[in-house]
Amino acid sequence: MIKRDLFEMKNKFFWKLIFSTFCLGLSTNLLGQSSSAPSLGVASNGGPVYEDILRGFDDPSRWLTFSGDYSGKRHSPLEQITPENVDQLRPVWTFQTGTTTRGRGFETSPLMDDGILYVTGSNNFAWAIDARTGRSFWQYRRDLPNDLTYGASAPVNRGFGMLGNQLFMVTLDAHLVSFDRRTGNVLWEIPLADYKIGYSATLAPLVLDDKVIVGISGGEYATRGFIDAYDPATGEQIWRFNTIPGLGEPGSETWPPDPEVLSRGGGGTWMNGSYDPDLNIIYWGVGNPNPDYFGDTRLGDNLYSNSLVALDADTGELKWHYQFTPHDINDWDSNHMPVLADIEWNSQERKVVMVGNRNGFFYVLDRVSGELLLGKPFTATTWAREIGDDGRPIVLNDGSKGCLPDPWGSTNFMPPSFYPALDLFILTARETCATFVPEEPRYVTGQSSFGGVVFIDGEQSSGALRALDVHTGELRWEFTYPSPTFGGVMTTAAGLVFAGDHEGNFMAFDVESGENLWHYQTGSRIWGAAATTYLLDGKQHVLIPSGTTLTAFALPD
Amino acid sequence: MTSLSASFLRNRIRNERLVMAVVAFVFLSNLAQAQGVNPLETDPRAAQAGGAIFRAQCATCHGADAKGIDSINAPDLTLIWTREATTDASVFETIKEGVVGSIMPPHQNPDPEIWMTVSYLRSIAVSGTNETVLGNVDQGRNMFLENCSRCHRVDGAGGSLGPDLSSITGRRSVASLVNSLREPSSNIGRRFKPVSLTTAANERVLGTLKSEDAFSVQLMDSEQVLRAFNKAELIRFTRELDSLMPVFSEAALTEADVNDILSYLQSRRGRRPSI
Repeated sequence: MIKRDLFEMKNKFFWKLIFSTFCLGLSTNLLGQSSSAPSLGVASNGGPVYEDILRGFDDPSRWLTFSGDYSGKRHSPLEQITPENVDQLRPVWTFQTGTTTRGRGFETSPLMDDGILYVTGSNNFAWAIDARTGRSFWQYRRDLPNDLTYGASAPVNRGFGMLGNQLFMVTLDAHLVSFDRRTGNVLWEIPLADYKIGYSATLAPLVLDDKVIVGISGGEYATRGFIDAYDPATGEQIWRFNTIPGLGEPGSETWPPDPEVLSRGGGGTWMNGSYDPDLNIIYWGVGNPNPDYFGDTRLGDNLYSNSLVALDADTGELKWHYQFTPHDINDWDSNHMPVLADIEWNSQERKVVMVGNRNGFFYVLDRVSGELLLGKPFTATTWAREIGDDGRPIVLNDGSKGCLPDPWGSTNFMPPSFYPALDLFILTARETCATFVPEEPRYVTGQSSFGGVVFIDGEQSSGALRALDVHTGELRWEFTYPSPTFGGVMTTAAGLVFAGDHEGNFMAFDVESGENLWHYQTGSRIWGAAATTYLLDGKQHVLIPSGTTLTAFALPD
Repeated sequence: MTSLSASFLRNRIRNERLVMAVVAFVFLSNLAQAQGVNPLETDPRAAQAGGAIFRAQCATCHGADAKGIDSINAPDLTLIWTREATTDASVFETIKEGVVGSIMPPHQNPDPEIWMTVSYLRSIAVSGTNETVLGNVDQGRNMFLENCSRCHRVDGAGGSLGPDLSSITGRRSVASLVNSLREPSSNIGRRFKPVSLTTAANERVLGTLKSEDAFSVQLMDSEQVLRAFNKAELIRFTRELDSLMPVFSEAALTEADVNDILSYLQSRRGRRPSI
């Protein structure tokens, strides 16, 4: 009986194969005949391989990983759109999700390959979109449980990872899902952690040659953060790095010797990491310890919360770490895109990693050794103004009497950009003020445990786009916004900075002077997202997510 | 928001045993199901317990003082009860189900905890003028038309430079309304912040700010015309400290006059505007 069923299935599969081969031949023929006009998106190749992602911007018609390449610079070599012609930039199409779902809007960086954009939205919607018309090929919507925890309060997603014909997305119920990029059909899915406790996942998976790397959200709950590597073919776990050590493990000496405190120590890893293929090291930010504001039950530095960790890509082994905010009680997660660059530092070529931190400091570290090269404030932070010789911040106050910055931070997860020709680090800065009132939390499974409240002073807040000299941390120029914004930044080699603000403006600036050259009102705040750019039919396009729309821009013909 | 509020909040530290006691009470009373009437309405401990829940789960978005956070569109929860449609049951429903199309998520808390939160929100509601103001309604109407209606609407008639006052007595106490008359600049509403500017053509414009981004401002000018300007085309743009509303001293409006106006406003409260 079983044998017969199997035979039938094989038979059906055989005929399906014959039929699809025929169809494929037919469509190839049809397309071949109309080759003079650019074909509307056809996934004709087998999809990008690891070497393609490794080459990053070498093929500017593609955008294959969150920042465009592994370095996190978000700096495109494209030069068609220039400071001289950027004021001619026009919208080509707008894509709307057409969904009335809960939560924030797009925080995604769409991937681009072969004229098709692969886009994730809030509430685990996803689409494949024709980059020429803005029309979709398929839509995916995940059936989410109605008892989501962290995922209900921040139902967002920051993008796909991609390898071959596979797409990878994490979900609000803390799963990793692999799709067939041609159909949006699920190939496999695996749970990362139990969403009912407080876990969720929102970042864009980092895809290496034989691994999909992901992190986890939920540091506001009694969770323990981790960074995981999975086999792209099967979804099998290859390694896990726990961001909060177990009792007796290195780093546990920075916590009370209490397994319960460690098991709910937080340290989410909810923003993307970057990768150095030569060193074979992954760089990833770690979030706040739990409870967020109440530190009395977790005395000590609380490693590896609020740190940057450098992990061996093959094993997940910790190479080094740097903690930006020891014993954080202000919810200054260090979940930022680490930016990798090779720069001349005191007449020496240095491999560095740069972080614009939620705590208000800009950091440059040697990414081989973890040595701190620079730590300077980029906002009017009052909790600390300098880093001591021991590499630790000289703490001035705990925020209980006010003030800076608020728990949303001096910047946040919105991507910054590095402009190599001028050694400028360009980021969104938030000037804010708050008073923190800690209170011991009550732990209830599936409920958040902030450990207090915060009074945010809305009257004293503003935002700015700031360009920092990476050698000194000094401000080269700024452009101010009326409110503390959450938009990200992209630069292009033509000398342009693209940024978004809280009032919905998508803008272009001259990278040397900071002068605003162009703006377009998108109709909704640009929150957490940054622009991407690519060549399509030989023409440079710029894409920005805003609210629940995506808008593509290009110069007129 | 200073240490004053902080110490105030510290003094209202949640009592866990109290929460448990109220939960037990509710379950024993078999009143735990979601229903139209708050089963804890008469229990004074419920609001206190709800405050603890609010601080743990709601304050991040709605602010520790429940007055909302503009930048994430989280509303001021002290004002929700001034809407006619708001009931304990509707607030319960909103907390439980969340708000579709917004950042507000559904909540899995047991029903009694949600009712406690409702009780807490009731307890911090901005209270209106609950006592009847003793004044002459007809005289108050005349005083209002003479002094206020150029800028304020009541019952669908009047100006729009200042807030509509049709239901203001439901939201504000007598003392705070009197203060707004005597010292209008001491507390200016979010949508009525005064600004002044000078255009390239040297026109001076005074108005209330409605919206602003890095490149433009949208305002209502003192003649109640909606106008927008590109910041790059302005010679000057200033946020003023003084409200556009004139100061009404005792000499201009006596205490009796004020009472007449307030009793007129109170008489219009809850009426639908005649359009």
